[in-house]
Amino acid sequence: MSQHIGAPCKPTVAKRQEVKAGDVIGDSDAFVSAKIHSPVDGVVKDIANRSHPVLGRELAVIIDVSEDNTAKLPTPESFENFNLQDYSQEQILNAISEAGIVGMGGAGFPTSVKVAPNEKMPKHTMIVNACECEPYITCDYRVMLEWTKQFIAGVKLIQKASGCKEVHIGIENNKPKAIAAIKEVLANTSDSESIDVVTLKTKYPQGGERQLINAVMGKVVPTGVIPPMIGLLVCNVATAAATAEAVVLGQALTHRAVTVSGKGIKNPGNFYCPIGTSVSDLIDHCGGLTDDAVKVVLGGPMMGFSIADLETPTTKTSGSILVLTKKEIGKANYLGQQTNCIKCGRCVGVCPENLIPCEIASSVKVRDLDRANRFNMSACMECGCCSYVCPANIEITGLIKTGKILNARNNRK
Amino acid sequence: MSKDKLFVSPGPHISKPISTRMVMLDVIIALLPALLAAAYFFRLRAVIVVATCVISCVVTEWIICKVRKQPSSIGDLSAVLTAIILAFSVPPMLPVAYLIIGSVFSIAIGKMVFGGLGNNPFNPAMLGRAFLTACFGMAMTTWTVPANINPELPQIGPKGATIAEKYQDQGLEGITEATPLAWTKNAIKAKTLEQAETIIKENFGHSQLKAVLIGYTGGCLGETSSLALMLGGIYMLLRRTITWVIPVSVLASAFIFAEIFHFFKPEVYVNPLFQIFSGGLLICAFFIATDPVTNPMTTKAQALFGIGVGVLIMLIRTVGAYPEGVMYAVLIMNAFTPLLDRLCKKTPIGGVPNAA
Repeated sequence: MSQHIGAPCKPTVAKRQEVKAGDVIGDSDAFVSAKIHSPVDGVVKDIANRSHPVLGRELAVIIDVSEDNTAKLPTPESFENFNLQDYSQEQILNAISEAGIVGMGGAGFPTSVKVAPNEKMPKHTMIVNACECEPYITCDYRVMLEWTKQFIAGVKLIQKASGCKEVHIGIENNKPKAIAAIKEVLANTSDSESIDVVTLKTKYPQGGERQLINAVMGKVVPTGVIPPMIGLLVCNVATAAATAEAVVLGQALTHRAVTVSGKGIKNPGNFYCPIGTSVSDLIDHCGGLTDDAVKVVLGGPMMGFSIADLETPTTKTSGSILVLTKKEIGKANYLGQQTNCIKCGRCVGVCPENLIPCEIASSVKVRDLDRANRFNMSACMECGCCSYVCPANIEITGLIKTGKILNARNNRK
Repeated sequence: MSKDKLFVSPGPHISKPISTRMVMLDVIIALLPALLAAAYFFRLRAVIVVATCVISCVVTEWIICKVRKQPSSIGDLSAVLTAIILAFSVPPMLPVAYLIIGSVFSIAIGKMVFGGLGNNPFNPAMLGRAFLTACFGMAMTTWTVPANINPELPQIGPKGATIAEKYQDQGLEGITEATPLAWTKNAIKAKTLEQAETIIKENFGHSQLKAVLIGYTGGCLGETSSLALMLGGIYMLLRRTITWVIPVSVLASAFIFAEIFHFFKPEVYVNPLFQIFSGGLLICAFFIATDPVTNPMTTKAQALFGIGVGVLIMLIRTVGAYPEGVMYAVLIMNAFTPLLDRLCKKTPIGGVPNAA
């Protein structure tokens, strides 16, 4: 019931109630929230707490899939003759809101709130995040490649709904096929004059809003400012594709493309699966775990969350499931030997936000939050680069996360 | 692996295959050419000095870890590295007992009392050397030139003093001789201009650059062969064990400083290239000043640190009392490291967040 940033939904169904695919099962009156729909036909088996990839345990609606449930299939062919003029701005906004679409890149901010024109913060430019956020993940790439028309339709719809004058699609140069496909579609369809494709150098982290805006437009977003405040709208590939589905076909966000990868999985691949599918089902579908798999991560290898319970369901924001082997994890298991910080400055060199991570981490370690804040802890976006390069094997990112939580706790008091 | 043995931790879940031990090992590998050069020029003596330092440093660290009931930290190889740098920066004929004292001081007082690797404010090897200089001033300034060496090699020193030929028959390992930097100093200290000119001309008349480049000269054990040191430095730069900032800033600032003096009074102050290749400047630029623990973290502060080291070395060499200033320059700048880090505090991209 909590698959987005904002107020969690309240279940709108009761136990043992029958549901059809696309029925609303969770909703909230709050402004910043998104509806949740059933991806399948079935009967509500239970409404109870279940493991959640990020929040620990959360209320969930558990649905027994009925036998005559027909699997929903992707329908990229519906967008062959897409015409933007057929849809009004209001219509688009309404459809996005009804479909419960959220930012599917990872943050899960309700798209309806993000896209809706706001008089105080008029949006002029839209940036499409088509750089796969983290290594291993390829679900956005497949969407761009296989459902190019649907993706572009979604981009145009969001552009129209938000009133952005220009659109930049930021894509990394390791995806030449996708770049070619997008350019071809743009050249052959109407209303694509204001859309351009920006090829970026492949690097991590690039999918973060602030990094992407900087890479695409050469513009620095001031710390503590969110993109809408400077008239920008950033949206992700999967979100655009889901928007097209919602507006053109009237379908709710109930399925998404998920990457299942890592050396610990026998047959890795990308799958279009119902949201709420458990991790274990997906892993079984891919041939199961190899013998040396030690870690299952929901999300990317740098910022994802490792899970202990394989029955954890996927959510609207789960773009990938990674099963990593001991070899892949390397020294990042934190049970390995740590040494003192040798102050080599490697973390300082890689920090995309220009911070001094090791100082923040050492401050948090001794619970000196004032000092951590003096080193601008709150500007950290937790990309994980510092921990990645640390020769002393200190879990810098983990300590900074801890520091932020402690900070929040102190502020609440 | 069964499903109930999954491992949970905060991200990132992958990592660069790099560890403190690997960093240290890389530096040790980079020191190998200089070690080979030392073994070539000073023969058995080089082996004795390096082995004594390594063994006493590692044993000291191990004992201290035991006494403090801590897990032994000798595995990170930093003690070995400290030992090699200490061995490289003492005169080759230094008695073994002195070497042991220096090593114990380096590790015990230079590093372990502060809490081990990473917490020491000063470079342990330089601290050990400073201690030795204070205790055994005479022994620490008695230099030897390798004696049993091919006389074909370019030589340095007064004309006619073909050291090799003179002593080869006697089977000596080395003979006591002033270092090139000492002559330089003498020239600067000379009362009259003519006197200085004679000293410079006599000692640096021929092939001096080649001699200091290859290493056939008096000096500390590992400092003499500039070529070998540069080889190691390039290896570390290629492996990205060190960044270019400190070596370049040290060398450039020293070069510019020397060039200015040489430009105005070439008869007293020697060629800046000679200054760079002689003494401990190169080992300092690549191996000592780049010690991650005791230099600043941000690029800007590192550049300032490097410039400070370079200028201080040249100041001591030209104006100060000692012919060589690497040790004091590094120690002084080490003391400035926290200040420099504070001075060059970075601003986050997009400015300082207002909500602290």
